[in-house]
Amino acid sequence: MKQKQILKDWAIEIIIFVIVIVLAFLNPSKVSSALLSATKTYLNLFIVIVAIALLASFIVVTIPKQTIGKIIGKQSGIKGILIGATFGTLMIGPAYMFFPFFKELRGKGAGANIIATTIGAWAIKIAWIPFAITVLGWKVTFFFQWIDICIFDSFGNFCGGFL
Amino acid sequence: MNTNLIEGVVLLAVVLVLYTVYFVKGAKGKLKDASKKSVKMFIQNSIRLFAIFTIIAILEKFLSTKAVSTFLLKFSGFRGIIVGALAGSVMMGPAATSYPLGQYLLSHNASVSLVSAFLFTWVGIGVVSIPLEFKSLGKKFTLLRNSFTFIAAILIALLMGVLI
Repeated sequence: MKQKQILKDWAIEIIIFVIVIVLAFLNPSKVSSALLSATKTYLNLFIVIVAIALLASFIVVTIPKQTIGKIIGKQSGIKGILIGATFGTLMIGPAYMFFPFFKELRGKGAGANIIATTIGAWAIKIAWIPFAITVLGWKVTFFFQWIDICIFDSFGNFCGGFL
Repeated sequence: MNTNLIEGVVLLAVVLVLYTVYFVKGAKGKLKDASKKSVKMFIQNSIRLFAIFTIIAILEKFLSTKAVSTFLLKFSGFRGIIVGALAGSVMMGPAATSYPLGQYLLSHNASVSLVSAFLFTWVGIGVVSIPLEFKSLGKKFTLLRNSFTFIAAILIALLMGVLI
């Protein structure tokens, strides 16, 4: 029974592992360079991964459910949305890295609308705005980021209404 | 140095300060629980993330960004927006890598709408990370968030087209 559960929990990782092995037979050089670049990405984000694990467990253990619900719960309104959007804008690394973290927060009473807003705000990266301007031009950058914020706040709420 | 490292260190420092404050306050039992849980979480997340990093790297090696851009340039108008959004959903990576791609597309006369749809779903939707989202946040959430993000991407693209 326990083995079955493990298999179920790790199904995706096992599938990826199989894909990698099959591809390694077809094109070893590409797969080995892919593995190397995956390792690089992992090492690059290592500190963030450690920090997320520490932070998530800290929040879960020390902050009472009610408090989390009050700050970023479904009913926390515009304040919660702003907190979520700010968090998404400031955080680094790919959004999916934070999914387990969001899971813990959800379990602690965070609203789905807030989390959806946070993930949406991920497209806005303040640290990268100067780079975006040089590459894309200020007009495109400005409108892109600005429309993002407006649409995402309303969509996050809309989405949360269903959950 | 890259910003990942700097911001990562800042984030870690903040978390460590939180732990220290609790330690000084004397809530050692809770801290022990938290660190135990974090070790477990760290190992689990590491395996899951490494799997995703691997599949993204494989996607990159077998599907070059140049090929994707050349493909995208064949489309225009509303179809361009849809194809751009779809391509962005499949491709993944840090937001910063998508900007030069956007530049390449723009300089080759792709519409602003196509580029914005592409840039938006690049970050907002990840076909590769859907299983992880599914596992962490649930079926309903994943389904709704991704479909809304897709619709939002298209709306944003249309708006961009009107404004610029």
